[in-house]
Amino acid sequence: MERIRFGIKVTKLWKALWRFPVIPLAILVVLVFVAIFADVITPYPPNEMSLTHRLTPPFFMPEGSPSHLLGTDNLGRDILSRMLFGARISLSVSLLVITISSVIGTTLGMIAGYLGGRFDALLMRVTDAALAFPALLIALLLGVALGPSFGTVVLALSALGWAPYSRMMRGEVVKLRGEDFVAQARIIGSSTVRIIMKHIFPNVINTLVVLMTMSVGLVILIEASLSFLGAGIPPPTPSWGSMVSDGRNLFAQAWWISLFPSLAIGLVVLSGNFLGDWIRDKMDPKLRQL
Amino acid sequence: MARFIIIRLIQALITLVVISIVVFALARASGDPLMLLAPPMATLEDIEVMRHHLGLDKSMPEQYWIFLRNLSHGDLGESIRNRQAVSKLIAARLPNTVSLGLSAIVLGILVSLILGVTAACKFGTWMDGGVKLVAILGQALPSFWLAIVAISIFAVWLGWLPTSGMGSPAHYVLPVLTLSFFMLPIMTRLIRSSMLEVLDSEYIKLARIKGLSEMLVVWKHALRNAIIPLLTAAGITFGTIVTGAVVIETVFSWPGLGRLMAEAVIGRDFPVIQAAVLLVAVVVLMVNLLVDITYAYVDPRIRF
Repeated sequence: MERIRFGIKVTKLWKALWRFPVIPLAILVVLVFVAIFADVITPYPPNEMSLTHRLTPPFFMPEGSPSHLLGTDNLGRDILSRMLFGARISLSVSLLVITISSVIGTTLGMIAGYLGGRFDALLMRVTDAALAFPALLIALLLGVALGPSFGTVVLALSALGWAPYSRMMRGEVVKLRGEDFVAQARIIGSSTVRIIMKHIFPNVINTLVVLMTMSVGLVILIEASLSFLGAGIPPPTPSWGSMVSDGRNLFAQAWWISLFPSLAIGLVVLSGNFLGDWIRDKMDPKLRQL
Repeated sequence: MARFIIIRLIQALITLVVISIVVFALARASGDPLMLLAPPMATLEDIEVMRHHLGLDKSMPEQYWIFLRNLSHGDLGESIRNRQAVSKLIAARLPNTVSLGLSAIVLGILVSLILGVTAACKFGTWMDGGVKLVAILGQALPSFWLAIVAISIFAVWLGWLPTSGMGSPAHYVLPVLTLSFFMLPIMTRLIRSSMLEVLDSEYIKLARIKGLSEMLVVWKHALRNAIIPLLTAAGITFGTIVTGAVVIETVFSWPGLGRLMAEAVIGRDFPVIQAAVLLVAVVVLMVNLLVDITYAYVDPRIRF
């Protein structure tokens, strides 16, 4: 029964793929491509300094040169190369954070929704608290306690990131719990784990995918804010947020240092949000209220 | 009602205890505090004496108890960097953050009310589209970048406003504007969808049939009902303001709590960040508690 439902949903998804929002998708594909092949396509190593080429403007400015397409920063590092490597940080942080928090949140939420009772009540209170608390603060706290590093950023963002998944999945499972196919599975003697994995999970995949796509932009923004504040990826590793921060005191004379990375953040976040909205409307219109 | 409030209070208290345990555990995970506190010339015996003096040789639960006891006296420890009492540092900065945050909240609510209501009334027109565009852009653009651009246009290029710091009322303009822009997208979207729902209802049709002016229908009859669902969002919006304040204060060198935290991050000053996070946790919990109680009061159907 649930196999058939799932099958119909997949065909629907497939049909919907034909009418696709091309631009946001293209931007995200470019991001993934750039992040994977950053070593090959960057014109310069991201941390190579050149004191003779400090503060070179981008190529379209009178003093710009085609050898540094987007100019250089105050240490003579090539902005374009650093941005391409920065894509790697943004992408890997958001992929890791979304994977970790969706796995934890979905597991907890499905168990709570299926079992109900004390565990459910407790988990929902914890989820409420986690939802209300500003993620940036936990990230700052962890950044100071454990020292800024890639792992700290991922840990900090996942520490509260699971909450929306757990809340949403729990709600979905509570609705499904009373359905006939769940009762039938129980009658033929399926174990709780089997019911949750084989019968309930396929029915909540849609919601899960929507939530995951919609959080891409958010995670990238928070990572950028953390790096901007100095609690994110430690220098000299290029991250878009820290690049904006590097250029902020020089904005009047060398606007390109912080403009291009912030445009990149804006574009990617915008594309992520657009795509998330689109997938939501196609797969799960009842989530519109989000 | 009383039962509901008591249950909610107990839950808030439990959450607070959990947060304090997490914060306390993180303080111990950040390394031996003595290595930071002891002067470089200290011998091992000196360190042991200090350890005993500071109570760090006691068991973990005992240390946690002492931590709580100090906390109840308002003793939040001492900053690692300048040896000042953390409570004093925070007390000096807090009013600045409150004045900035409150002005931003008031402005943000006003602007998002106007935008959200306009968009809902002109549903499907270019005005609706424009508001949606502002909301989408506002959600995607990093707030720190917006602040930097605002500084370079209005302070550096045009020279109308001061670049950073605090003092005259003119110093408030840019930080308040950027911080309120930070909360604008969520609020506007919520007001718009909630207004759309209300405008479709029977009693609004009745008000129109009665011949009331459109102004009165929209701003009195509809808005009053549309605002109720916004209460639930108040807790989340408050979190956004806190996040925004940390970033905006850093960019504008605003001497508030957010900048104190950002400085503490760079100086790896754990006691300061610990106290600030605890303080914000308490405020966030209280705001959410108030929201829940107000909500239950406004809408009698909501109970445990």
